[in-house]
Amino acid sequence: MNRTEQRQAVEELVYRSCLTLDNKDWKGFLALCDDDFRYHITAYSPEIRRDMTWLEQDKKGMDTLLTNLPRHNSDHSPITRHATVYTVELDEAKGEAAVVSALQVFRTQLDGGGSELFAVGRFYDTVKLNGSGPRLAKRIVKLETRQLGYGYHVPF
Amino acid sequence: MAKSAEQWSARPNFPQTHYVDSRIYTDREIFGEEKEKLFKPSWIIACHESELPNPCDYRLFTHPAGVPLIIVRGDDAKVRAFYNICPHRGNTILYDPSGNAKRMTCIFHQWSFDTRGNCLDISRAEQGYQNRFSKEDAGMREVKCEVAYGGFVWVNLLDECMPLREFIGGAMDILEPFMQEPMEIFHFHKAHLRTNYKLWHDTNSEFYHDFLHYFNRITGMMQPGYFDRKYTAYPNGHATVGSMQIQYDKYEGSKERAVGWPGLARGGWYMVDLFPGMTYNLRTSVMRIDTAIPLGPNEVVIEFRGLGLKRDTPEERAQRIFDHNMIWGPFGRNLHEDLLGVTGQGRAMREGTDSRWVIQGREENNTIHDEIGMRHFYAEWSRRMERPAYDPYREGKPEPVRAVA
Repeated sequence: MNRTEQRQAVEELVYRSCLTLDNKDWKGFLALCDDDFRYHITAYSPEIRRDMTWLEQDKKGMDTLLTNLPRHNSDHSPITRHATVYTVELDEAKGEAAVVSALQVFRTQLDGGGSELFAVGRFYDTVKLNGSGPRLAKRIVKLETRQLGYGYHVPF
Repeated sequence: MAKSAEQWSARPNFPQTHYVDSRIYTDREIFGEEKEKLFKPSWIIACHESELPNPCDYRLFTHPAGVPLIIVRGDDAKVRAFYNICPHRGNTILYDPSGNAKRMTCIFHQWSFDTRGNCLDISRAEQGYQNRFSKEDAGMREVKCEVAYGGFVWVNLLDECMPLREFIGGAMDILEPFMQEPMEIFHFHKAHLRTNYKLWHDTNSEFYHDFLHYFNRITGMMQPGYFDRKYTAYPNGHATVGSMQIQYDKYEGSKERAVGWPGLARGGWYMVDLFPGMTYNLRTSVMRIDTAIPLGPNEVVIEFRGLGLKRDTPEERAQRIFDHNMIWGPFGRNLHEDLLGVTGQGRAMREGTDSRWVIQGREENNTIHDEIGMRHFYAEWSRRMERPAYDPYREGKPEPVRAVA
């Protein structure tokens, strides 16, 4: 695979991660992740002037979290993740890529179908390039939006 | 059997202490009175001292009565509170929610103030005011401010207010042994909801809603001791909830909490609900504080804080954050369920829905599913508002008064 093809494969991985999560295809999402996958949602609070972590899971933890979702009372309004890959920095020596994408999350109300912007932020992904294809090794969702109303159970 | 309109409107067949008229959650006039009669005279948590670690650090806070405040640590290390309103043309003095300001300068005309509220400079003062007005006349409005009960910064808008210790009374005795070491904030977020602030405080004041939470149904509610947790009512509308031991390993994906809290039994959990809208929640490894800031009868912002110990190692802090997020973070299992629940109440009770009554009638010897916590709150609410919560417009026939259980 040349660098252009590698970049295309990495971009497609980011977009597939959004599609699988949007479609609640949890197994499909986890299939895109490396066994050592780590997932974080973070935000900086200008109020307390600290970086905060709002969610942190490994692959097994994500699997459990997503599997348990139907057991909880949740807002069932679907969300749609819109990502735009900004930069892909390939590190051939490490067999990794550092990927930065813009993220917008929209929520659509079940009753009436009104859509609203729910959150904005960025994906900071580490992608493993060796093996059969690119895999997500780490995803940090860094949110700008910190007011999420009554919240949400599904990771972005 | 389903009810007719008449039956739906009829007063619940409970003592008048055991239900409230749901219009107290929607009436704009009542909401205005609450700001004056409940929030202005009460001591309110504005922030934690760890949000102001250095001299001249400040933090903005919108008081539930509506007043914008600056909480600032002075050059003498004392924490003070002032209106964030310029005495000149009424502009906002500080705009960013936190920062460090040796001088607090109004952007409008560059009047500046020190951290003790003194006016330092009025631009072109002599040319404009001659001898009629000077910086000595232009101080900031200071309000009562104390750091207490775990290093939290408390404010009171009234110059002649009840002392903080008298306002709290014995309500914090249950937590005092666990607040001997300095704490430090690691989490802050706001939830803006279409609901009444009292409905959030109600949720914090009753555990019967544990049925809402899958997590609690398979952990706390199944464990010995759960139904022994007791509510204790205190003067001024405060209430506490005694501890139990939570077995976190009963929930898949969770595990017994490795990091505890000094003096607290493993898996312990205490709560203190403070009138009119604050809650201390010490659960195993994390202190959570809720502060409700009502914006209207059906609109509230809740500030959520998570705290650990100042002496935490990075590993201990990371574990506390993980524990906090599992249950109480914006993506946590329980917080979303609780907030969804009160938002649903707000939707069902908004003006014009013909919601009529909220029943608080459970009596279980003041134990965990008893609704004494809410009844105690509304007894104080009625006393201060000079309106009975069960009949705020005095439309009903008088009933024999029964003491709150």
